[in-house]
Amino acid sequence: MLKLTKFEKARIIGARALQLSMGAPPLIKVTGDEVTPIHIAIKELEMGVIPITVKRKMPEKMELGGE
Amino acid sequence: MFLEPDEVKKRIEKIREEIPRSVFSELEEELSKVEVTEEELNKIIEEIKRRYDYSLVEPGEAVGIVAAQSMGEPSTQMTMRTFHYAGVAELNVTLGLPRIIEIVDARRVPSTPTMTIYLKEDIAEDREKAKGIAKKIESVTVDDVIKRAEMDLIDSKVTLILDEYELKRREITLEEIVEKLTPIKGVEVEYNENQISLKVPNPSMKELRKVATRARGQYLRGIKDIQRVVMRKEGKEYVIYTEGSNLKEVLKIDGVDITRTKTNDILEIHKVLGVEAARNAIINEALDTLEEQGLMVDIRHLMLIADMMTVDGEVKAIGRHGVSGEKASVLARAAFEITVDHLLKAGIKGEVEELRGIVENVIVGRPVRLGTGMVELKMRRELEEKREEA
Repeated sequence: MLKLTKFEKARIIGARALQLSMGAPPLIKVTGDEVTPIHIAIKELEMGVIPITVKRKMPEKMELGGE
Repeated sequence: MFLEPDEVKKRIEKIREEIPRSVFSELEEELSKVEVTEEELNKIIEEIKRRYDYSLVEPGEAVGIVAAQSMGEPSTQMTMRTFHYAGVAELNVTLGLPRIIEIVDARRVPSTPTMTIYLKEDIAEDREKAKGIAKKIESVTVDDVIKRAEMDLIDSKVTLILDEYELKRREITLEEIVEKLTPIKGVEVEYNENQISLKVPNPSMKELRKVATRARGQYLRGIKDIQRVVMRKEGKEYVIYTEGSNLKEVLKIDGVDITRTKTNDILEIHKVLGVEAARNAIINEALDTLEEQGLMVDIRHLMLIADMMTVDGEVKAIGRHGVSGEKASVLARAAFEITVDHLLKAGIKGEVEELRGIVENVIVGRPVRLGTGMVELKMRRELEEKREEA
């Protein structure tokens, strides 16, 4: 699996936690101590079950000699 | 149980491409000194990889801001004491905060230009030869070797009274001075033991003054702009420190080690040796100044600053007239200084705002393309497909 940067992880966890908080069913078994959407999202990411990835772009080519 | 040296080599060869060369060669060297078991070697390799990965900067990190803070914070702790004798006897060099400002502002001429001149290996340890080169470098004017100059309006002449002590110290003869003064236009030179008289044909105060200043400023020897030279023994070799800087001429002198000789005038380095050299000079000067104050700043911050200052081939200052003032985006420039002027001028010219940078997007109220803001999310199709199959 591709290695995510800390920013990508944060973004994915955030997006997933939002879904969970709005009632999406968790993709893992929720046991007693991971009750908040964020905890669940983190656990899901660790297990690699979140159906979200990132689109990585190469840096845009900048035109040289601009003002 | 210990691994054979050949086996160790074979194993570390696998990670050669994964870590920086310097780390690899250090690992290689250290491992050649000790014996390790297989388990230990694996642990070492794993730890190296882990630490290297940890030290990498992740894409999206706000390196510019971190660099600015990393240099700004220590600057606040620097002592304001401008002048400092930097180890060398009686040589005065600007250090501390004023020096940092000077570097970052890319001033035309540093307030105290200095050079450090190294000598070629074969003569570096020879005191006499080093002295000879130092003598060739130090500029001597007539003014340096006279006690005073007298203007005589009656006889319409300027009399230079020589300082014998200085003459002896600098090994300059009377004849030498006379020879240098003879070409001055319309002047008749006469001399005796310790006096040189310059006869001026048409007697006027103005003319006398002119001749006097002209004669006093006459170079006798040495390189222009280098006012003073101090020699110091460092380890085995002699190193020459100068007050004043003229890299181009010093590098021409035979016996000077051109690979190590340096000046603290960054723009001069740019002119003589090019941008890459200027970039390195900025990094080294900034690092040395900070280190002298006992402050540790990671070299990568300084490299970024130096890169920003030199990207387009010339040395630009950080600030109004340089990096910040020449940003491509109108809004970014307007956010920095003189807002109205920038907006007005951009309007007249019909500039287009591309909204690529950070500042522009903050102003407009969009997420900035930095950190979490530059991540684009996408559905992961393969998971769905897997589920459908099942």
